[in-house]
Amino acid sequence: MKEIVKITFSLTIVCVMAAFILGAVYAKTEHIRKENEEKIEHETIEGLLGFGPGKKAPDNLKIYPVYRYVINDAKGNPRLGYLMPMKEKGYLLAEIELSGKLRTVIPVEADASKLSERASRDSVVNSALPKDLKAVYAQALFIANLGDKRLGYVIPGVTQGFKTFIKLMVSLDPNLTVTGIAITESEEDPGLGAEIEQSYFKNQFAGKTQEVLKNLKVVKEPLPSDYFAVLDPPKAARQGLANDQIREIKEKHIKDDIYALTGATISSRAVTNGVKDTVRKFVYRLEILGDAIKKDNIQVAF
Amino acid sequence: MNRNLTLVWNGLIPENPIFRLALSLCPAVAVTTSIKNGLLLGLAVVFVQVFSSCTVAIFKSFIHPRIRIPAYVIIIALWVTVIDMILPVISPEVYKQVALFVKLIVVFAIIISRLELFASKEPLTPSFFDGLGMGLGFTFGLCLTGAIREFFGAGQLFGHDVLGFKPLLIMILPAGGFFVIGFIMAMFNWLEYKITGKIPKSGGVH
Repeated sequence: MKEIVKITFSLTIVCVMAAFILGAVYAKTEHIRKENEEKIEHETIEGLLGFGPGKKAPDNLKIYPVYRYVINDAKGNPRLGYLMPMKEKGYLLAEIELSGKLRTVIPVEADASKLSERASRDSVVNSALPKDLKAVYAQALFIANLGDKRLGYVIPGVTQGFKTFIKLMVSLDPNLTVTGIAITESEEDPGLGAEIEQSYFKNQFAGKTQEVLKNLKVVKEPLPSDYFAVLDPPKAARQGLANDQIREIKEKHIKDDIYALTGATISSRAVTNGVKDTVRKFVYRLEILGDAIKKDNIQVAF
Repeated sequence: MNRNLTLVWNGLIPENPIFRLALSLCPAVAVTTSIKNGLLLGLAVVFVQVFSSCTVAIFKSFIHPRIRIPAYVIIIALWVTVIDMILPVISPEVYKQVALFVKLIVVFAIIISRLELFASKEPLTPSFFDGLGMGLGFTFGLCLTGAIREFFGAGQLFGHDVLGFKPLLIMILPAGGFFVIGFIMAMFNWLEYKITGKIPKSGGVH
């Protein structure tokens, strides 16, 4: 009897001490970690838009986040809610039916810092809605303007990878041509599937128009050596390729399918399908959203 | 030679966790497709091993012998989680690379075996050096395996193109990991036989 009390006591002490240390470390590090994550996300978006180290983003570059919510009423009928920044100040929530008809526009009073974090954003949206409606966060998309001109779109997407999900971001120009992709989170095998993060794979998507993208496939063929050099900017620089030559080679391969990574066909396919899927859904949604905004003359910021 | 130095040396070569003790072979095969992967995982293991060994060496009188294994697991999990929380704050770039590996360390056989065999019996200083030696030995093993596999499998070293072609793709696939580790193990045994003149016992000295 005495023994068992001692054992219980000893194990409890170990657990409590471990919990205290973890709690203290978590309290100290959590907000810095979140800040870092946001910073990395912001940098990824800017990088996809063509800015980054060596090319600072100009001051008139504005990135507007649009958050998509799925709103369910009491009977469980879904409709969509888009949380968008307004022209002057504040935000609005546009309720759009699945058929594409705009239902209502609800002004939302909140500042950007409150909306950037998911938990507080969810509560803001739900408190703005009537009581019988419930909104569930679906996805964000980012609209970038340079001054008054549309620079492009950045859309996050998720796809099923070899073992678990691959999170990616696709950037489109105003004509909806893919300008680049970024892998934000993946757990593919190092050395095989993880090569999807290499520029010689990612850059193959740049320049694919809607037309090409629709029938884009993955082919199990070796990457042509001239194309390989062009896809990897440092390599192109080492080979002393002039900008004209680079453009010429890119032009030649612009309609090529995606060349699969050696030993990682599944991961290559996963990313390709993910990009296709993400873009297809985005184009469809953008059309509906654009129509609704134009028809009802909503004063949005972008 | 000083005992502490002997302990570090022991972990590095004569009792190398991968090639002599044959512990933690799963991660060793899984991540050693390149030197960089091996090095990053190795460094993470050094930290967890040293911190866990020291913690156990300090608090061993409080840990009831009959529940020592769960207590060790909690201690290892504690340090792994602490590193998992602190690293993204100190260096988000490095964390992005090692995040996958760090969480695996909780279940590494090498760490719990060192706590059971060494840190629970010895005072703080030797435990520290034993942990350091074992961690460095593990890192050395991962880097050596990673270097051979990366060179023959991808024609690269440290991510830089060396050969310009891929001589043996199988080396980078899981099967190649078994081959490379098996051959290095054989080489270690052969060297021991040459030096001491005795046929080595399997699975190290324990």
